[in-house]
Amino acid sequence: MKKRFLVSVLLIITMLATLAGCGGSKKTSGPSGNVDENGVTTDEITLSFWHYEDETTVTLLAEKFMEKYPNITVEHRVIEDMSTDLSAAAAAGNFPDVFEGTDSDTALANMYWADISEYFDADPENENLMATIKEYGLGCFDTDCRFAVPMVYWPSAVFVDKAVIEKLNLEMPRTDWTWAEMIQLIKDATVDPGAGEMKYYGLGYYNRLDSLYGIAACASSERQIKGEFGFDGDTFDLQYWAIGEQEFSDLKLAGYVAPQTETQEMEDWTGDWEAWFGATGHVAVFSEGFWTYMNIWAQDGYQEDLGLEIVPYVTPNVVDEPEHNVIATMYMGGVSTSCQYPYEAYLLLKWMGWGIEGWKARIEIYNDTSITNASGVPLKHSTMPTPITLDEEVWAGYKALFPGYEENKVIWDDFFANITRPVPYGWYNIAGYWNFCDQYFNKIGIHDLVDKGTAKAADYVEEATEQANYYHAEAMISYFGPNGYDVLSDEDLAKYQAVVDSFTAQ
Amino acid sequence: MSKEKKVKKPKGKLGKLEKREARAGYLFIAPWLIGVILFMLYPLAQSFYYMWYNIRITPLGTKFIPVGTGNFTQIWLENPEFPKQIVTYLWQTIVQVPIIVVFALMIAMMLNGKIRFKGFFRLIFFLPVIIVSGPVMNMLVDQEAASIPAMNIQSITAAFGTFLPQSAAESVGEIFSNMIMILWYSGVQILIFLSALQKIDPALYEAAKIDGGSKWECFWKITLPTIKPMILLNAVYSVIFMSSNEQNELINMIQRAMFSGTKEKGYGYASAMAWMYSLVVTLVVLVFFLLLGSKKDVYDRQVKKRKRAMKKEARLVKKIERRGIRNVKKLEKARKKRKYRTYTGESDY
Repeated sequence: MKKRFLVSVLLIITMLATLAGCGGSKKTSGPSGNVDENGVTTDEITLSFWHYEDETTVTLLAEKFMEKYPNITVEHRVIEDMSTDLSAAAAAGNFPDVFEGTDSDTALANMYWADISEYFDADPENENLMATIKEYGLGCFDTDCRFAVPMVYWPSAVFVDKAVIEKLNLEMPRTDWTWAEMIQLIKDATVDPGAGEMKYYGLGYYNRLDSLYGIAACASSERQIKGEFGFDGDTFDLQYWAIGEQEFSDLKLAGYVAPQTETQEMEDWTGDWEAWFGATGHVAVFSEGFWTYMNIWAQDGYQEDLGLEIVPYVTPNVVDEPEHNVIATMYMGGVSTSCQYPYEAYLLLKWMGWGIEGWKARIEIYNDTSITNASGVPLKHSTMPTPITLDEEVWAGYKALFPGYEENKVIWDDFFANITRPVPYGWYNIAGYWNFCDQYFNKIGIHDLVDKGTAKAADYVEEATEQANYYHAEAMISYFGPNGYDVLSDEDLAKYQAVVDSFTAQ
Repeated sequence: MSKEKKVKKPKGKLGKLEKREARAGYLFIAPWLIGVILFMLYPLAQSFYYMWYNIRITPLGTKFIPVGTGNFTQIWLENPEFPKQIVTYLWQTIVQVPIIVVFALMIAMMLNGKIRFKGFFRLIFFLPVIIVSGPVMNMLVDQEAASIPAMNIQSITAAFGTFLPQSAAESVGEIFSNMIMILWYSGVQILIFLSALQKIDPALYEAAKIDGGSKWECFWKITLPTIKPMILLNAVYSVIFMSSNEQNELINMIQRAMFSGTKEKGYGYASAMAWMYSLVVTLVVLVFFLLLGSKKDVYDRQVKKRKRAMKKEARLVKKIERRGIRNVKKLEKARKKRKYRTYTGESDY
């Protein structure tokens, strides 16, 4: 009997111990209020930073931050899935102090980001950032409060292969080219030599041209486009998108666009199912992600071996304007609402994102090619972002990181000079945008229908515009209205409510 | 007439030994009880509560916004994926469960025969249970290891498409493309059948053989009727397993909804989805129960009928006995009141 009793007690203890191991979160004592002459706490604190960047790079950056602020310990981790990771962290009570987000709807719907206007507006360093950040309120989401700041920036770029242009006896385009000139080059560079030789294609795409066109569609005097689908900060107008969508699909249907990887067309063209158009030496223009240059094309000997000479061009504008917006990938970063040390968290956010000191530290890290990440890749070849600050010293150091910079200095300089007005993709900066895509736009499969030639993009403009406006208005009320951050004025609330009412009344 | 009395436990306090035994019993089932309360009843009640709310889990706390039946209407009216997946699930379960059960029975019968290295083969067939219960299965499916390479799925789908609607033909094609995976789900079922087969009395087979019964007849008249309850058990087990494993798209959909940060979804929406799905699963189990539930055979029915007749007879006897007692009492009463006399032999009768 004694034995049985002992066994059962042991079983319960084991079970309770296992259960205890399931939970557990860090407990920190509250701020003491002691600060140094710069207003930074003198408490020994730990800040957690969750992000999407290269782990080794962030580890080194965090070390340099901790050297500057010895009383602050930075713990970081890479986010695998924003929604899952952050909602699980919120439920478990171990939410990060600072994080980068790729989907602003998730962050705003759950009030993850705190209002950091106080710190951002008082920081003189922020006067020297890319103009659109303040002008368009990137990270403010059309409110008077700043919830996030662009942290990681990659401009959209159109790369041109000089070697292909030369082979086809074509002229290199001017660096401040227009949309029409780019389309003409794509058409001119599509050549089928016949006799069993590989065809030359004008365009190889990663980003669909309609995304690029949506921002470059008109003169700023016609409509101040601040986001995808013709968003002007208030309403959408998808007629701009429709023109780009149709033009791109027409190019595809007419055979100007190179096949994608793992398709029968790719196998027919190159004899290799898994080939990538960017490595064929038979494509003139690429709408690739900017990181592709450093991650692939700039690797030692890559271009030489394949006979490529890739140079970047700014995404052209429809109207020949010297200064225009370019669509960009911009991860937004913010300080969480549960953070106990928001100012210190803001400093960390700035260091990891747009701050001059942080960027100088980055460039130092990137310059040391002996440091590699877990995959053995030197850090500058591991999805290196672009500075958001306009600090000249930072930019000089940044430009020097590109191996092809000196050979094609004029083209590179013009490119860098033309990417200072970034406009992020919709899901980074427009409330309700992701809901619109998830619940309406992606479900009707417009791209496929138009690409197959079974529908015209223009047919969807009216309905899609109404839907987009409704999702945006509904999200604004939900996120920033009384059930959310409660920062909208009565006037704004009434304005958004009117859009919702008129849509639901239909 | 003697009346049987029920043996009642003597009232009063438990003895020391009994107390100790009771305590040990409760302690032994305590881990299970704690597990059920913490990981089943509490989450069940919690999800039932959640499904009436839109829940936002903010870093500062959880916000509950009551939506009434809003989550349900949204799932059925605004999420076309859910009803579509429910239909796919129903179709796949109805087709796949019989395949799994029949395959498991075949393998169990083979393993129950006189073969060499029986233990080794049993191990081999049980191995997938360990593999499919972890992320390894997902990796194998990603590597296309769940399908038979020699099988031309497109041709099979096209062949079925000639007489079935396209969606049904695609579902059949899907089953063929995942054939290995379906068969891998049979490990536990094989063990259950094996234990049932081993419990069949060999004398039954011997008697059947003496009467000239073939193996085929033995299977249909002895094996199958004996293991029938196990067929139901295996069918239910297969339904539950298929409804809750990582390969199930509805489970993934609920999980995605649960962790979705969008304002419409989240814990409330996922709870509503989970409750509706569990109702569908219950209905499927009910269907299998109705199809495979034990219907008594002729012999059983006769035995029951006889038992009923005996009970009726016993009741009649009791009735007569009671009537007799009543009559005796009546007579006794009347005699006492001298309403009648008994014959004394003094005059004519």
